[in-house]
Amino acid sequence: MSATVLQARANLTLPVEADSITPDRIDGLQQVAVGNLPILYGREWAPLGDLFAVSGDGRADLVLEGDLTHVKRIGQGMTRGTIAIHGNAGLHLGSQMRGGEITVDSNVGGWAGAHMAGGRLRIYGDAGPMLGSAYPGERRGMTGGVILVEGSAAARVGERMRRGLIAVGGSTGDFPGARMIAGSLFVFGQLGPRAGAGMKRGSIVSLGSLASGVLPTFQYSCRFAPGFLQLYLRYLLRWGMPVTPAHLQGQYQRYTGDINTLGKGEILIYDQH
Amino acid sequence: MLGILNGRVYDPANGVDGQVQDIWVQDGRIVAADQVPNREAAEIFDAAGLVVMPGGVDIHSHIAGSKVNAGRRMCPEDHRADTGAQNGVTRSGGGHSVPTTFATGYHYLEMGYTTVMEAAMPPLLARHTHEEMNDVPLLDKGAYTLMGNNRFLLGCLGHRQKAKARDFAAWLLEASRGYAIKIVNPGGVENWKAGKRETDLDDPVLGWDATPREIILALADISTELGLPHGPHLHVNRLGQAGNASTTIRTIEALDGRRTHLAHLQFASYGGGGRHPLRSAAAEVAAAVNANHNVTADIGQVVFGPTTTMTADGPLEHTLHQLSGSKWLNNDVEEETGGGVVPMNHARRNTVSALQWCIGMELFLSLEDPWRTFLTTDHPNGGPFTAYPEIIHCLMDREFRSQMLSSLPDKAQSRCGLAGLQREYSLQEIVIITRAGTARALGLANKGHLGVGADADIAVYAPQLNWSMMFRRARLVVKGGRVVVRDGQVVAVCPGHTLCVTPGWDEGILPSLREHFEQHYTVGFDNYAVQDDYVPYCEVIRCK
Amino acid sequence: MTRTVEHVVCPTCGCLCDDLVVEVDGTRVTQARRACPNGRTFFKSYDPTPRLPRVHGREVEWNEAIAEAARMLTQARSPLIYGLSSTATEAQRCAVELADRLGAILDTTSSLCHGPAVLAMQSVGLPGCTLGEIRSNADLVIFWGCNPAVSHPRHFARYSLPPANRRSRVAVVVDVRPTATSDIADLFLQVEPGSDLEILTALRALVHARPLSARAIGGVPLANWEDLAGRMKSCRMGVVFAGVGLTMSQGRDLNLGELFSLVAELNDCTRFAAMPMRGHGNVAGADQVLTWQSGYPFAVNYGRGFPRYGPGEFSAVDVLAHGEADAALIIASDPLAHLPSSSAVHLREIPVVAIDPRESLTTRIAQVVLPTACYGLDAAGTYYRMDGVPIRLRPVISSARPTDEQALQQLLDSVVRVSAGAVPTC
Repeated sequence: MSATVLQARANLTLPVEADSITPDRIDGLQQVAVGNLPILYGREWAPLGDLFAVSGDGRADLVLEGDLTHVKRIGQGMTRGTIAIHGNAGLHLGSQMRGGEITVDSNVGGWAGAHMAGGRLRIYGDAGPMLGSAYPGERRGMTGGVILVEGSAAARVGERMRRGLIAVGGSTGDFPGARMIAGSLFVFGQLGPRAGAGMKRGSIVSLGSLASGVLPTFQYSCRFAPGFLQLYLRYLLRWGMPVTPAHLQGQYQRYTGDINTLGKGEILIYDQH
Repeated sequence: MLGILNGRVYDPANGVDGQVQDIWVQDGRIVAADQVPNREAAEIFDAAGLVVMPGGVDIHSHIAGSKVNAGRRMCPEDHRADTGAQNGVTRSGGGHSVPTTFATGYHYLEMGYTTVMEAAMPPLLARHTHEEMNDVPLLDKGAYTLMGNNRFLLGCLGHRQKAKARDFAAWLLEASRGYAIKIVNPGGVENWKAGKRETDLDDPVLGWDATPREIILALADISTELGLPHGPHLHVNRLGQAGNASTTIRTIEALDGRRTHLAHLQFASYGGGGRHPLRSAAAEVAAAVNANHNVTADIGQVVFGPTTTMTADGPLEHTLHQLSGSKWLNNDVEEETGGGVVPMNHARRNTVSALQWCIGMELFLSLEDPWRTFLTTDHPNGGPFTAYPEIIHCLMDREFRSQMLSSLPDKAQSRCGLAGLQREYSLQEIVIITRAGTARALGLANKGHLGVGADADIAVYAPQLNWSMMFRRARLVVKGGRVVVRDGQVVAVCPGHTLCVTPGWDEGILPSLREHFEQHYTVGFDNYAVQDDYVPYCEVIRCK
Repeated sequence: MTRTVEHVVCPTCGCLCDDLVVEVDGTRVTQARRACPNGRTFFKSYDPTPRLPRVHGREVEWNEAIAEAARMLTQARSPLIYGLSSTATEAQRCAVELADRLGAILDTTSSLCHGPAVLAMQSVGLPGCTLGEIRSNADLVIFWGCNPAVSHPRHFARYSLPPANRRSRVAVVVDVRPTATSDIADLFLQVEPGSDLEILTALRALVHARPLSARAIGGVPLANWEDLAGRMKSCRMGVVFAGVGLTMSQGRDLNLGELFSLVAELNDCTRFAAMPMRGHGNVAGADQVLTWQSGYPFAVNYGRGFPRYGPGEFSAVDVLAHGEADAALIIASDPLAHLPSSSAVHLREIPVVAIDPRESLTTRIAQVVLPTACYGLDAAGTYYRMDGVPIRLRPVISSARPTDEQALQQLLDSVVRVSAGAVPTC
């Protein structure tokens, strides 16, 4: 597949803000023009070419190589095309993205997919805190799209999520799905403590273990095999998430809450017995 | 020395209505042409084909102080997308409905405003207001000192000590470096602190032998006795509640000739209530204002979009929080007042917001005397002050207004009388409601006009296809004789003045004041009054 | 010769007690009457002797130090300005302008202590009041995760539990261990560490009479929480003082958000307020100044020429831990002593300018040290109390050193000159 390749020239330790690195901006540009895109390095603007070697054919599909731990805001607000990152990526990866796909080989920093409205974000390593969440003061975080993490996710996954799907293959930090308004969060490893604190609606599905019991403001409702889960789990299985036959056939305990907010959210816990 | 030549001048205070004239400026003042000794040396701005008028004077806006800053702090989402970079001349900053201090100054100046009054200053927090105002560049500004729920004052009124109340009010104006007496929901905030949610004009103030009516009349009399240039500035009881027009009208009647300014009248002109839906009572309220020449009013027009509401009327913000479910900040200030902040979206498709928009427009068009009718949005309650150009457009262009009206929910259209109002404001009338009239109501003899001796605060606009385009960015703004805006951009900065009054008071009140502070305040009496350091560019406006 | 100065304001903590009587002998404070032990130490230990600035450990003239500091900051690609909680708003205003002109990252100690309270307020709001409302009207005072008996010793007498009406109010302490504050409380609820959120959500449910099945929460029987919820609903005016026990424990801003939501809901049936128990003298002022100038209270990045807000990204502790600063200006703070070692270590590797009246761990490693006067002792300035009440500090001794404001103004002028483009003013 043809693509535009950006290879980090050196180990970037000072913060770089690469919100100009999106398929929308780069599509159709000549290599020179790509190299001239402005990129914030510390407090100064630099041409992208100073920090990245540009090769490839200027297509809307981007490949990024090198250690991008300090490169922030890659793919911010993108609406189409793909970005493949071979290495780590910094904060705010794919924040506010509305379409297209980002894949990352390794780990990503905090706020990946924050305020995401569409598209897909696939992370093969671990995700930092506030994955698919909201920035301070905002009423709602993620409003659409899909986030798939093979590794684990840190604290506060999907905070104030309004719509969309997040699946974490490993475990999560605390407060997964806090203040969720709607949407779905699947966790295959250990579900962090205080899941769904302040949630109004939406579903948090635990397919592995629990770090602690549910909050006192969640009430046990029943044990059952929810039909809609099959659809989601088969979808996730297709994307390589660790769904087992037992998950598909098993029973789930349902807790509803948070009764302090609206009480129409649910936590579904796969019953291993 | 500066000459603005050949412009069409609108200076209603001096009877100039669009005649082509030259304006000459020297040492920060407007001078007669024949007083300019050396015209060749003057900087000349050719205003041929342009419109020249005095700099705008905003009579009611929340731009600085504790609750404004609380609004900024609570709502980072308000600023994220709305920013301006520093450029060597200007400082960076931004914010949609609660801009940073610097951005506030720049945005006002870019629109041709040169004087703005901060509408509510809690005396205990006055230093904060002044610190912020000192970081609002360019604008001249003053602040209204909150008194309508002050316990020392309530004590004086309860004991029928009118002279003591007057001396206290004068002392508090000086101690807080205020410009006018502000009354917000008189007695109502004090009642709320005691657990009573709603207070009407003749309800008792719990724990005190006084009613809101008595507070208002006393402070109106005090304003007159002290010869204050403005005021009192009154936010009536039951503001924002359905059916409050009756309270407003009774308040106007109660004033019985006493000079008073009614703040953001739109929020006080609601019919309905109880089991009846909200409807406009603008016609009734306007009739009362029209018939009482002692009363001036600003509108508090609502504009559509997200904003941040903030007022010293604590109970009102609590009600808004309960209705909207939005986050709520409250700050009760000991012995003096309250305060609250709630973000709000005035959505076009929301019947209440749409009706509020209609009621404001209806008031603008029903109030007959532009010298007593002023343009405000009660920034940022009705919407940000940056929406003024759009409001002017609605007032001057009947067709544009009716297009707006027809886009609103039917229920809003049918519960007001806006559709039947055909009036269009003339440009001269716009100058009155944004400058000449406000300056007069504020008692600012040197502002709001372009006569000889006036402060050289001048705005020049280029006529545009539509009025909102014209008023959005001034071609030239002169502040205190200096060119500070060119082509809608701030090109130079300097500090503005802080407008204060010093009405004088009898030292006989000091012992009882000191005792009151020792018993009730957490700040010592000797550390209370605002020091000179906080008003480095103080301009004292004389009391009559 | 001894002089006495009255109505002196103590800038040590967020209480800003303004009734001190200070005696001065020459240039030293000999007595600070009415001050708490913290304040007495602050006043009596201060030595206002003039000191020369240092560059790389060498004493130099003031201008040389300013020039070197300006050079270090302008050469940096990602400079950090940090501290500001123990300096006056006049200096804070200069510091923010400096950050603006430089394009620096600016953060205050708020991000370490009560930043989570700000985030919570941005999430759900904050019903509050000034301390005088509490002194006059409160009949239920709850101290949650704070120990003012030690951190704010005069808080009880002046604000929260004044002796005159101590008997008409109930003092409750919620903490993970007994403290000097719990010793004087009418009710002490000792809870398991890290259980604040569970307790607060439970209290919210109990206040609304929603059913809970748990028998104990946070290691305390449910009946005790039912009792507390009942007291909260039936009091005339209640207040919760929130300490770093809440902000620094797991959940941080979510704990505070739960608390502020609880307090907001209590206002449907009575009058209730919450107040973060802020520590440093003027950390509240730093919040205010940053907010009115940038729109944001802390963790602000000016790198793009305009302010952006990034708690967790532009907070000093994160910037330093990730090595994302290449020079630092530290004002009136000692991050080397207070920051976690993962962050402090980076400070040792980059050029540091320190502006401080006193020597500290940070001034010892700084390349440039600018010794300034101390607000409240030999400089006048504005501090904001924990409840946002601004107070003017009265200097008690005459100053022989420049103020932070003067140092920063010189630095600002110098930086603007270095980066060319003089600022036109009229």
